[in-house]
Formats: sequence, structure tokens, C-alpha cells
Amino acid sequence: MIHFDNVTKVYANQNRPALDHVSVDVEKGEFVFLVGPSGSGKSTFLRLVLKEERPNAGTIHVAGKDLSRLSNFKVPHLRRRIGCVFQDFRLLPKKNVYENVAFALEVIGKPRRFIRKVVPEVIELVGLEGKAHRMPEELSGGEQQRVAMARAFVNRPMILLADEPTGNIDPATSIGIMKVLDRINRTGTTVLMATHDAAIVDSMRKRVVELEDGKIVRDQSRGVYGQAY
Amino acid sequence: MRANFIFSEVWIGLRRNLTMTIAVIVTVAVGMALLGIGLMINSQVSTMTNYWTDKVELSVFLCQKDSAFETCKGKPTLNQTQKTQLQQTIEGLPEVAQVEYEDQKAAYENFKEQPNNKVFLTVIQASDLPDSFRVKLKDPDNSQAVVNALSGQAGIANIVNQREILDTYFGFLGKLQWMALGVAIIMVIAATLLIANTVRLSAYNRRRETGIMRLVGASNLYIQLPFVMEGVIAGLIGGVCAAVLLIITKILIFDGIQSYMAQPLGWDTLAGVITFTMVVGVVICILASFVTLRRYLRV
Repeated sequence: MIHFDNVTKVYANQNRPALDHVSVDVEKGEFVFLVGPSGSGKSTFLRLVLKEERPNAGTIHVAGKDLSRLSNFKVPHLRRRIGCVFQDFRLLPKKNVYENVAFALEVIGKPRRFIRKVVPEVIELVGLEGKAHRMPEELSGGEQQRVAMARAFVNRPMILLADEPTGNIDPATSIGIMKVLDRINRTGTTVLMATHDAAIVDSMRKRVVELEDGKIVRDQSRGVYGQAY
Repeated sequence: MRANFIFSEVWIGLRRNLTMTIAVIVTVAVGMALLGIGLMINSQVSTMTNYWTDKVELSVFLCQKDSAFETCKGKPTLNQTQKTQLQQTIEGLPEVAQVEYEDQKAAYENFKEQPNNKVFLTVIQASDLPDSFRVKLKDPDNSQAVVNALSGQAGIANIVNQREILDTYFGFLGKLQWMALGVAIIMVIAATLLIANTVRLSAYNRRRETGIMRLVGASNLYIQLPFVMEGVIAGLIGGVCAAVLLIITKILIFDGIQSYMAQPLGWDTLAGVITFTMVVGVVICILASFVTLRRYLRV
């Protein structure tokens, strides 16, 4: 599903590569944690999957497509097959829960009847039934993140990228978020989650890829966060 | 593509940037009005040139009694035979197409017909006006040869080339035209920069929305269209204001001039000018928006 082959990314005006000859394969339906300290290249990895950045060397395949051969014109179609969740939620403050989720479908031109059918389903999937007409400011951090996950998943993407989704949320609420991610993963969606949160990684027992200074230092199925134990 | 979504975005954008939008509208309106006035003068000059070119003649005025002209001083006026001889001489010149003799009576009749001459009629009599030959040229541009050939002839008071009078007037209109076009170009540049700035502000105000649209895979056109439409709508409103200005200019200024210059500037010409300036205005807005978006709205 995601295939990195010897990928190197050096940002302009920087000597040290953000990613240094990274090769990784993520299969369809997998749940992968991407761990490592700040600046280790986790975010760069996610940006490369979305083709927000281009690698300086190496090839990237996402959903069977070679990104270097994907024209800019087709990048939006790639992104429709990838959902994204961020630490800062990125909701539209002037739209309610339903409208925030529907927005993702409206802007890719889905018919209204389709939107009316699927949006309530997804809101229920993330556990926000009955809150469809609340505004983001009326929701807790955990609930806002659920809205963001609903928006990322409403188009049934093949891949869900989560960049520190629990970074702004207290540990108790984080468990609920992880349950939603797990539920999404069980529908067959590949989930790739970058995180600092050791407790979550340890409790989930999923595959762990650890980056340090742009290199993969560990790739372990059913792994834990820290190497020491 | 959902039209109501795009239009609500456009409306929000225009309202948030109200001052900039007004600035764009005013600049586009003034710029396009000046461009239109330049084009109107241009078309007026060319229709009038065509109209007058076959009508211009040389007037060869003859000496009369007590003429004030230097060439006539102390010389007798021409008698009938001499006049016929002079007419034959003029007709013999290779550049001349046709010669007509206008005596004092005919000159007085023509003079009376001119509406501007009413005041003079009270003091002028037929004997005050000189006899003249009205000389039509084969090529109106080639008058100097005729003037040279006749300048030594006795009995000629002076030679007036109507073309020179028209040229002064056309020259003045030509300068006006270039001034209007020059200012129009400056206004167009100002409008382009203003639109670029407006679009930049708009893109910044809505970076959250556009960021999300990008992430969920909205097409570039879908993301950019609201911004471009903002420019287009501001440009269109400016164009309409320019059209109103042009119509006022036609009625107040051009129609006023035409009571002197015979050839009217038609409404069809004005319609053409308005269409052209509107298209130019909107195209400028579209181009300015797209170029700015490429810089400030990464896709």
C-alpha cells in the first residue's frame, strides 16, 4: 500500500537529510506506528506519502502508483484515497460537526443525497451521535479530534495518516481516540500514525517503525515504544 | 462542481475584503473608461478623416478692391478675361481634379448658411467677400505643389488649405487620445497590482479552508475558482461603472463636438468600445488572480 524504496529527502538550506535512504513497506490493512524524537523525519515521511514534498532520491509508491510519475493534475485524486488527522484538529470554526464532515465531500463534488446518507454514519462510527449540530468550540479536545477523524474517513480512504493525533489530548481521552482508529483499521483501511505517546504504542502492540536522524533504526511487528525494554 | 458553494465562498471573500474590493472596482472603472475614451477618439478621428478627405479643397481667394493683403496692394483687380485665364492655368496643373469659381454673391449665400455667422451678417455685405476658386485636388495630401505653382500669380490674395485647419483639430484629438491611453495603461497596471494584493489577502484569510480542501483532495480548479471569481466579479462591476462613464462621455462631450464636425459617433461604435473594455478588464482580473494564486495558494 505504501512502499518507500531508498528514499532520501533533503530540505533546501539544510545539510542534514530529513530522511536518509529509507526503505519501508506497509501492506494493505496494516496498523503502523511511526515513532522517534522530534526532527527524526516522521512528519516528512507523512508529507512524502501525500506528495506535499518530493524526495531527492528514491521512489515512493502509494496505492500502487509511482508518485514521481503522478502528474500534479492527479495529486488531488491521490489525496482522496488518503485521510489525514492532525494534532491541531484543523476544523472549520464556523461550521458545525455535520458541516465540517460534509465539507470534505462537498469540495470533491459528491452529490448531496450521498452526503446526507454517509455523514451521519461516520459521525456515529466515531462516537459522536447526537452531537452533529454542535459547533467545534462547544466540544472537548477529544470530541474535536473525533470530528477530524470522521472527516478523514468519510470518503472511505484506503490509507489514514495520523500525525500525533493524541498530542493535544489527555491520556484517558486518548484511549477513546485509539479505539476509533482501531475501528477504522478493522474496516480494512491502512493506518499510519506518527506519535510520541509511549503508553499508547505499548498498549496497542502493533507494528512499530522507529526513525532517528532520518534513518530507520527499528522495524518491529507487535513492538513497543522504547528500545530499552 | 457546486455553483452555490463557489458563490457563497466568493461572496464571503468580497465582503471580508470590502475596502480592497472597492479599490479594485474604482481602478478598473477609471482605467477602462480612459481606455474606452482613447478608443472613441480614435474611431471619431478615423471616421471624420474619411468623411472630410474627399471634401477638402484649396480655396484660392482673389484680390478685390482695397484688399488688405500684401500681394494685392497697389494692383488692379482681375477682369473677366484674366479670371478665365487664371482658371485655365489652375485647371492645367497636373494635381488638380476640378476647379469651381465662386463669385461674391455665391460666397455670400454660403456665408449666410453657416449658423455660426449670424452676428456677422448684420455688418457684412456681399461686396465684402472675395471671389475665389474652389480647387479640388486629385490627392488631398499633395497640395503644396499647387500652392507653389500659384504663389507667383498676379491677382491672388491668398490660398487657404482647408486640410491644415482640420489637421490642427485632428492633431489636438490625437494628443488627447494618447494621453487617455497613457493614463489607461498606468491604471491597468495599478488595477493588476491591486487585484494581486486582494487575492493574496483573500488566500491568507482562507488558508484554513483551502488547506483542508487540499488535504481532502479537492481539485485545483475547485480551490482556485472562488478566488478567481472574486477578481472577475470586481472587474465586471468596474467594467459596468466604466460603461456608464463612457455613455456619459459620449452624450456630454462627443455629441457636443459633433454639432461642429458633422460625423456622429454612433451608438454601435460605443457598444463595441464598451464590450472591448469589459473583456479587457475581466481578462486582466483573471490573469492577475491566477498569477497571484500560483504564488500564494500552493496546491
